[in-house]
Amino acid sequence: MAYEPQFYPGATSVAENRRKHMSGDVEKLREISDDDLTTVLGHRAPGTDYPSTHPPLAEMGEPECSIREIVEPTPGAKAGDRIRYVQFVDSMYNAPATPYFRSYNASINFRGVDPGTLSGRQVVEARERDMEELAKFQIETEMTCPALSSLRGATVHGHSLRLQEDGVMFDMLERTVLENGYIVAVKDQVGRPIDKKVNMGKPMSEEEAAKRTTIYRVDNVPYRSDSEVIEWVHRVFEQRTKYGFQPL
Amino acid sequence: MTNSSSDNGNPFQIEIFPSRLVRPATAKELLNEISKIDGIIRAFIQGPRLPTEVPYGPAKGSVVNHGSREHVKVGDVDIELSIMVGRIRLEIEHEDVKIKLREVCERVLPFGFEIREGLFIPKKQTISDYAKRGPGADPKFLGLYDPKSKPDKQITILNSEENEA
Repeated sequence: MAYEPQFYPGATSVAENRRKHMSGDVEKLREISDDDLTTVLGHRAPGTDYPSTHPPLAEMGEPECSIREIVEPTPGAKAGDRIRYVQFVDSMYNAPATPYFRSYNASINFRGVDPGTLSGRQVVEARERDMEELAKFQIETEMTCPALSSLRGATVHGHSLRLQEDGVMFDMLERTVLENGYIVAVKDQVGRPIDKKVNMGKPMSEEEAAKRTTIYRVDNVPYRSDSEVIEWVHRVFEQRTKYGFQPL
Repeated sequence: MTNSSSDNGNPFQIEIFPSRLVRPATAKELLNEISKIDGIIRAFIQGPRLPTEVPYGPAKGSVVNHGSREHVKVGDVDIELSIMVGRIRLEIEHEDVKIKLREVCERVLPFGFEIREGLFIPKKQTISDYAKRGPGADPKFLGLYDPKSKPDKQITILNSEENEA
């Protein structure tokens, strides 16, 4: 019988969502065009070619190497793209993803990515077109709610603050605004104004966000209510403590 | 059993803590309603800062134009909100003021709030305060502004005897 990864223990909706994020089996909720994505990322002008740091691998003549023969380069590496980043911030108020689960999603489902997991933000560095593929996937699917998550390259402050009156996560640079029920980006990732507004989609309702979140919260699904998760966390802690204990 | 600070007849402090960060229109309504209540000695508005320029990163120096950085008129005084209102701390004279404030909050803040009693605005000078302002500083201004800043930029006086004259 073929092995099927289980990803995460637990019987609650939060555990189920965590399994979805890790496996990449997430629902697509919205569309964002390539040009719109390029605009909000702000690394190059939309419609332009990818700048490169080296010639395509096929033209370079690679040295003989068994590993290079086994591992197929990613499209970005093949073309010699620059390394660029995308950085997400997710609110603690029932945002669908958390930095850890964005990193799990990136590491398990994408090649050639370097996720950085921090307490309030999550950054992924990769070749430009590989990074865009990941950013598009995470923005278009249920991993992102435009009101509770946002792209913030700098000045990420806001994830742990109360939401604004309109239910949008606070952003001191106001990169996105709520217009006619949709979240619209008016600045790029780092806060530079953009020429064309980008529609990032409709925010999730409070109930939907509570249903799709990967965050255990006392006012939603409490961590202690998931006995299987608690059992496995205890097991991991116990075993790593015993393993680390090396008497002479 | 201990008594709360509001039982002894002395001024005491409370904090209004809305469940959401308050937009300028709501903040204006709330501050105006609060300014009409008698018995408030001093108040302090706190919240995340709204800079006028991007402070760091590749866009450093660009203008922010935050929609919540607005001028609000409280009574006859024009105040520029350089923060998004997150909490309001007040020193009040008696328990009745707290009841009136609760009524105002119930009307203006439909998304919920908490009112807490405690010590939120300092009553004694710190060493920095003393070094900056000396022994003769007005105790009413204590804790309302940063020792490094100018008080007229951060403190607004409403309903004073001079204003009424």
